[in-house]
Amino acid sequence: MKHWNALAAIAVAVACLSTPAHADKLDDIISSGTLRCAVVLDFPPMGSRDADNNPIGFDVDYCNDLAKALGVTAEIVETPFPERIPALMSGQVDVGVASTSDTLERAKTVGFSVPYFAFEMVVTASDKSGIKSFDDMKGKTVGATAGTFEAIALEKQVTEWGAGEFRPYQTQADVFLALSQGQLDATVSTSTVAQANVKTGNYPGIAVVGKAPFDIDYVALFTNRDEYGFINYLNLFVNQQVRTGRYAELFEKWVGGEVPSLTVPNAYR
Amino acid sequence: MFSYKFQWNQAFARLPQMLDGALITMQIAILSMVLGILLAIVLTVFRRSGSRVLSGIATSWVEIARNTPALFQIYMAHFGVATFGIHFNPFTSLLIGITFNNAGYLAENFRGALKAIPETQTRAGRSLGMTSNQAFGYIMLPQMLRIAFLPMTNQMVWAILMTSLGVTVGMSTDLYGVTQALNALTFRTFELFALAGVVFYVIVKLIQFAARLIAMRLFRY
Amino acid sequence: MFDTALTSSDFLFLARGAGMTLLVTAISVVLGTCLGIACGIFRFQVGPWWAAPMTFLLDIFRSIPLLIQLVLVNAFLGMVLKLKISGFSVACGVLTLYTAAYCAEIVRGAIEAVPGTTRRAARSLGLTWWQDMTSIVLPLATRVALPSWIGLALGVMKDSALVYIVQVTELLKATQILITRLQEPLLLLMICGLFYFVISFPLARLGGYLERRWSND
Repeated sequence: MKHWNALAAIAVAVACLSTPAHADKLDDIISSGTLRCAVVLDFPPMGSRDADNNPIGFDVDYCNDLAKALGVTAEIVETPFPERIPALMSGQVDVGVASTSDTLERAKTVGFSVPYFAFEMVVTASDKSGIKSFDDMKGKTVGATAGTFEAIALEKQVTEWGAGEFRPYQTQADVFLALSQGQLDATVSTSTVAQANVKTGNYPGIAVVGKAPFDIDYVALFTNRDEYGFINYLNLFVNQQVRTGRYAELFEKWVGGEVPSLTVPNAYR
Repeated sequence: MFSYKFQWNQAFARLPQMLDGALITMQIAILSMVLGILLAIVLTVFRRSGSRVLSGIATSWVEIARNTPALFQIYMAHFGVATFGIHFNPFTSLLIGITFNNAGYLAENFRGALKAIPETQTRAGRSLGMTSNQAFGYIMLPQMLRIAFLPMTNQMVWAILMTSLGVTVGMSTDLYGVTQALNALTFRTFELFALAGVVFYVIVKLIQFAARLIAMRLFRY
Repeated sequence: MFDTALTSSDFLFLARGAGMTLLVTAISVVLGTCLGIACGIFRFQVGPWWAAPMTFLLDIFRSIPLLIQLVLVNAFLGMVLKLKISGFSVACGVLTLYTAAYCAEIVRGAIEAVPGTTRRAARSLGLTWWQDMTSIVLPLATRVALPSWIGLALGVMKDSALVYIVQVTELLKATQILITRLQEPLLLLMICGLFYFVISFPLARLGGYLERRWSND
């Protein structure tokens, strides 16, 4: 009899645990007092580490701004590119501020805000490879960061060319390391990241050689698909960042140059 | 009971791609085992050679392989040696990393196996007029391989499991690499990796079954 | 090669990673060993037939890659059950079961290595099952099991390099983070490898020594 009581208690406990909670995510974040952001930290200038190995970058500041707006403290959770969305889905983070392209395939799994940043894709090549444009990459060994917009597009392109080799690396840093070591001939990455990496001087013998003919890569904040309240909040937050000039300010601080437009001409979002 | 909606058809639709990956995984594991056994025999000979230099090389190899993580060895085979301008593609880097690891562990197993063979057998061989190399090759080696058969099976299983570490050096065609690439496209993490886990499980069981069949022939007397 | 941009705060960062490696290993080995001993004794007591479901479950942990185990458990707890569990707990949980799976086999083998006649003699002298287990089987089986167990514990430490997949910054991940910033892959990898070696090598030697010493009598 005692066993049955224990079993019943366990069953009740399991049932409680598995019943979805009805307080929404926005409430949860505000009441918990911390906002956990997934940020990619080998992706300068969007995310990287300073000399004391503390997180810095556009995405880090963006997360801090969001936390301030919510009146909570921000916690930066470093996630490699392929782990961004699994980290959200498994509840390790509340929101992704991780330069994530808002593809339709991904929107089947997570909910995206309106775009908060836009990238152009460029080709970065090692000097030795003799690559001067996107089309020169045909037949060469090229790579990109696994699971990113550009990796998916580039892999498709290599398959179409039917020549050369495509290698996905786990992190953006590994891609540039491989490129500077001569393991890769060229890579396609976002222009901001390519410029920032070339500028550091950490990777001798590589240069940005031209644009890649991929679409502009709009990136958005993401959270769970069914958290409409929170997604609404994120949309308004992105809008406010632009309206108040904070977006331009952060862009000047981390990237510099002409601030990219976040709207698509002739279409509503 | 679960609020999560499983979409198993998304994973099953990709099973053919994953099975292609499984073939590559098997290929790497088998190659690394064959090379690993050959290298382990060489290391064993080195360690018995009495030469300070040779046995020093062999001992360092064995100790490094056994005392650092396999992931570290594979990472080293790709990004570490590239510092010297030596470039291997992901397939080769992964193969080198696993082979290095296999050879180290197997050499240690072989040493244990040799201890189980009585010294008198070598002397018997020598007194029949064999050279010391012949005595090792014809008498010790076959027995050593037979005694070390079970550890070799285990190492083969580990070699299969170790192929999953190839993603860290840009490998994308093996079973784990394919699964991760599909995950980046669809984000059905649980379904895809569960299916990959089942495929790995089946491969391992097939290897253990095959090993049992071989063992029945090897140890029938 | 010693002309490096590595600062003392970077060493501190590496040391924190090393501490994480040791912490995860210690927790998993302690819990996993307890669980493994329980499973091993259970397996021996009830025989292979009744223990088959347990053996099958434990065997899974030895037949699929640790990376997949971590990804799956993390995804299952978080995505399916929607529990909020830290990556650290997931890492410790999975490594505990992983340790237990191997440990159970070691324990079973060690108990089987104690001759049945010895145990029957003990029982016929009036020892209870518990007394027989603690004063006859324990000392004899420990001699068989300890060297393999040391190997297992070191194996878990090396395999803990994979917990980076659930966002735990252990030694190898910390090394990769520094490589990203400093671009000195070889030096940093050598420091990292040396750390594992310095911990693992003496203990592995101790295991080998015990094995030789105890197998001779």
